[in-house]
Amino acid sequence: MRLAELIQKLLMFRNLRTRFTVLYMGLFALALILSGIAVATAVTSSARRMVSDEMASAGAVYGQLWASRSAQLRQGATVLAQDYGFREAVATDDAPTVRSALENLRARQGVDGALILGVDGSATSTGINPDDTALDNLFRGLESGDVDSGVLTIRGQPFRVVAAPVNAPVLIGWVVFAERMDATQMRNLEQLSAIPLTAAVVTNQTPSAAGQLPVTVQTAEGPSMQLAHALPGFDRTAHPALLLTYPLQRAMKPYEALFLWLIAIGAAGLAMLMAGTWGLSRGLTRPITALDEAVHRLQKGEYVEAPVTSGDEIGRLAASFNAMVGDLRDRESRLTHMALHDQETGLPNRLALERQAGGHTEAWVILFGVDRFEVVRNAIGYDSMARLLATLGARLSALAGGAPMARVGAGALGLIIVARSKGEALEAAERLAGAAQAPIEVNGAPVDITLTAGVAGHGGAGSGLSSPVDRAAIALDQARASRRPAAAFDEAAYGDPGDNLSLISELMTALSDGDVTLAYQPKYDFRAEGVTGVEALMRWTHPRRGMVSPDLFIGMAEETGHIRPLTEWAIRRAIADQKTLAAAGHALLVSVNISGRLLSDESFADFALDEVATSGADLCFEITETAVMDNPDMALRMVDRFADAGICVSLDDYGSGLSSLTYLKRIRADELKIDKSFILGLDDSSRDALLVKSTIDLAHGLGLKVTAEGVETPTALALLRGMGCDLAQGYLIGRPIPLAALLDRLGEPVEDARTAVG
Amino acid sequence: MCRVLVAFALIFLATPALAGDLAVSVRDAAGRPVGDAVVTVTPAAGVPRGPIRFPWALRMTQQDIQFQPYVLIVPVGATVSFPNLDRVRHQVYSFSRGARFELELYGRDESRTHTFASVGVAALGCNIHDQMLAYIKVVDTPWAMKTDAAGDVVLRDIPAGPATLRIWHPRLSGRGNEVARPLTIATAPARQTISGDFSGRATLR
Repeated sequence: MRLAELIQKLLMFRNLRTRFTVLYMGLFALALILSGIAVATAVTSSARRMVSDEMASAGAVYGQLWASRSAQLRQGATVLAQDYGFREAVATDDAPTVRSALENLRARQGVDGALILGVDGSATSTGINPDDTALDNLFRGLESGDVDSGVLTIRGQPFRVVAAPVNAPVLIGWVVFAERMDATQMRNLEQLSAIPLTAAVVTNQTPSAAGQLPVTVQTAEGPSMQLAHALPGFDRTAHPALLLTYPLQRAMKPYEALFLWLIAIGAAGLAMLMAGTWGLSRGLTRPITALDEAVHRLQKGEYVEAPVTSGDEIGRLAASFNAMVGDLRDRESRLTHMALHDQETGLPNRLALERQAGGHTEAWVILFGVDRFEVVRNAIGYDSMARLLATLGARLSALAGGAPMARVGAGALGLIIVARSKGEALEAAERLAGAAQAPIEVNGAPVDITLTAGVAGHGGAGSGLSSPVDRAAIALDQARASRRPAAAFDEAAYGDPGDNLSLISELMTALSDGDVTLAYQPKYDFRAEGVTGVEALMRWTHPRRGMVSPDLFIGMAEETGHIRPLTEWAIRRAIADQKTLAAAGHALLVSVNISGRLLSDESFADFALDEVATSGADLCFEITETAVMDNPDMALRMVDRFADAGICVSLDDYGSGLSSLTYLKRIRADELKIDKSFILGLDDSSRDALLVKSTIDLAHGLGLKVTAEGVETPTALALLRGMGCDLAQGYLIGRPIPLAALLDRLGEPVEDARTAVG
Repeated sequence: MCRVLVAFALIFLATPALAGDLAVSVRDAAGRPVGDAVVTVTPAAGVPRGPIRFPWALRMTQQDIQFQPYVLIVPVGATVSFPNLDRVRHQVYSFSRGARFELELYGRDESRTHTFASVGVAALGCNIHDQMLAYIKVVDTPWAMKTDAAGDVVLRDIPAGPATLRIWHPRLSGRGNEVARPLTIATAPARQTISGDFSGRATLR
C-alpha cells in the first residue's frame, strides 16, 4: 500500500509527456537490469564452475603427483632399509656408517633430508635438523602404523615425509626421507594447471574446511575461490592441506568485454527508447496540451478555438470543446444583450445608457418623457406603445446624429449628447424634443405625442444622485412641474432628499420637545374695526438649523404621512390657546390649516369633530380649493361634516389654482381667502383690483365672507375696505407672533390698533 | 601398553612330595588363548646344578622359506642346529644382543650350528627372505615351556617355595616383551592364568 502510494507520488509529473517517458524508460531499464543480472549470473556461475572443475582436477593431479612421489621416495627408503649392511649398522648402533649411508641415499634420491628413527625414539639425521616436536609427531605417527607418508612440520616449515621400516628382522626403526614443500614445488604444480591458480601447502587447515568443493573467500585480490585438498599428515592437531586459490576477478577477466558490451548496448537502447518515447508522447500529448491551454485561456474569459488535429478521442474532445465555447459565447452575448436591452421595445436599457454616459465630461444625458404616457398607452395599447417608443427612440437617435439612446423608464427615453455647456445641452434638448414631436405612425394610424426633456451632466453629483440618468429624470420632473418643454437638473431646487429625510424623523421629536410652536397672525375685521380672528401658523425652531421653513417641513410631512399628527397637535394647541385668549377677555376665531391629504381621512375628521365638540372651541378649518378638487366627493362630504358641527370652513389661497365655480357652488364654506398674489398687485394693477372686486362680489353672492391675504400697504387696505371686503390679513395688520406677544398686543389700547391700520 | 592385567586363580592340589605342578594359561586382552608364549619358573632357591635338558630337539629348521618352529626354547650354552630343508639357500642371522651371529649362505640339507652362550632372545632372520622370522629363547631354568595352541602349559615338579613366573612372547607388551610374577610353588598342583597385551612388537636388540 505504502509502496503503491510512493510510486504514484513519484509518477505525479505535471507533464504528461514526462510521465510517459519516465514510465517507459523505467520499464525498459528494469528489463535491462533483469537481463543483465541473468547474464551476469549465468556467466559468473559458468566461470565459477569452470574454475571449480579446474581446481578439482588440479587437486586430483596433485594427489597423483603426491602419491607417485611418495611411492618413489618410499622405494628409495625401502631399498636402504632392507640393505643388510645398513640393517646391521643400525642394529649395532654403528652411527657413522648409518649417517654415511643416509647421506649417500639422500644425494641419490635428491631429498632435502634423511634420518633413521629408532623404535626407541632415537634419531640420526642428515640434511635436516628436526626439532623434538617434529620427532614426536613423526614417531607417534609411524609407531601407530597409521601413516608412513605425509606432511610434517619441521621448525614451522612443511615437509613431505616418507618412511620405510627397518626390520632386523624385527622392527628396529624407520628410514625417513623429508622433502621441503617450498615455493619451487608449488610453482611447478601451478604450471601443471590450465588456469593460473595459486597453490600453497597449509598445515593449519581445520578438517571441515578441507572439503571437496571450492569455497569463496575474501583475499587480498578480492573474492577468490579456494579448494583445500587434504593431505596426509603427521601432526596431531594440524590438518595439512594443499590450498588452491584462484581470484574470481581473474576468472571474470575474459567476460569483462562482454559486460562492457552489454552495458553499452543497454545504454544505447535506453537512449533510443527515451528519444522514441519522447517523440511519440509529444505527438500524443500535443493536442492535449493545446486543449489544456485553450481551457486555461477560456477560464480567463478568452474565447479560443482548440485545434482539431485528429479524429480520435482527443480530436472529438477538441471539437466538443470548440462547440461548447461557441455556445458559451452565444449565451453570454444573449445575456449581455438582455442585460443591456429593454425586452419590450428592443431598445438599449438604462444600464447600457449609463455605461455610455460614464467618463466623458462633456457628455450630457437628455431624458425625453412622453407626456400623458399612461393616457396614450391606455388609448393605443401596450404593444403599440412599445412600437411607438421604439420608433421614437430611433427617431431621436437619428436626430441626434446617431447618439446613444435607451429606454430608461416606462415613458422615458434617454439620449447621450456631447455639449460644451449646460445651455448648449438644454438648447439641444429643446430642439430635439420639438423635432421629435411629429406624429408617429403606429399600425397605420398617426399618434400625436408631446415630449418634455430633462437634462443632466456630470455636475450635481452632490445631490446624492450618482447617476446622470437619475439626475436627468429629476430634471424631467422639474421641467414638468414648471411646465417647461425642457429643464436642466436644478440641484438647489432638488435639495437633499437624504437630509430632508432625517429632518422628518426629527420633526416628531421636535413636536414632543416643544420645538414646534404655533404663531398667530391676526385678521382685521373691517366692520368691527378690530381683530376678530387669528390664523394659527406652525413654526419649527430647530436646535441646530434654526427656523425651518414651514413650506419645507409641512410639505415633507404631507409627503411622508406625518401631516396628521402634526395637524392633530395644531388643533389641540389652537383649542388650548383659544381658551387662554378667552380667559384674557379676547374672544377670537382661530383658523387652523388642514392639509388636503387629510380630507380623505375619515378618522381624522372624527378626531377633529370630537376635539371641537369636547372643548366647545370656535375653530375655522382652512382648506385649499385644489385639495378639494383632487377628490371632490370625499372632500365635500367631510366639509359638510365640519359645517354640520358648526366649524367654520375657509377656502384658502383662492385664485392661485384652477378656481372652479362648480366646487365653489357645491362647497359649504363660510369664508373665502383671496390669494395674496392678487392683493400684492392691488396697488398697481387695475386688473387685479377688478378681479378682487369681482371675487368679493361673487363670494358675497354665494354667502361667503371674504378675507384678503397679503395686505401690506394702507392703500391696499383702503381699497379692500372700499370693495366691501370683510377681513384683512397681512404684515400691515400683523406678522405671525407667538401667543404671549399676541396677548400683549391685544391688551394694548384699541386706539393704537386702529391708528395702526388707519 | 605397559599395563598388564593379571588375574590369579590358584587352585592347590594336595601332593605328598616337595614339588608341585603349575598349570599356566596365557590369554590376550580379549581372552583369546596365546600360543608360542614362553613360560618359565625360576625358584628362589635356585635351579639344580647340571645341564638342562628339554624334551624337544634344539633345532631350527628352514622349510618352505619359513623357520620351524617359530619359537624355540634352548638352555643356555646349548648348540642349536639350523638345517636347511629348502631347495633355496638361506643366510640366517641374528643381530640380537648376546646372540649376534651370521650363518653364511648354505644350501639344501646343509646344517649349521650356533651355540647360545648367554640368556636372552635371539631374533632370527634370513638375509635373503625378509618374511622369515623366528625366535630362540635362551633360558637358564629347566622349568620352561611354550604354550600350545590352546594357550596352556603345565610345568611339573617345581620345587615348592617362592619362585618367579615369567611369560615371554615377541608381541607381549612390556619391557623385553616379558612379564614377571612372583609366586609360591606349593606341592599341590596350581593353576595360573596370565592375561596380557599381545599387540606389541618385539623389542630386542
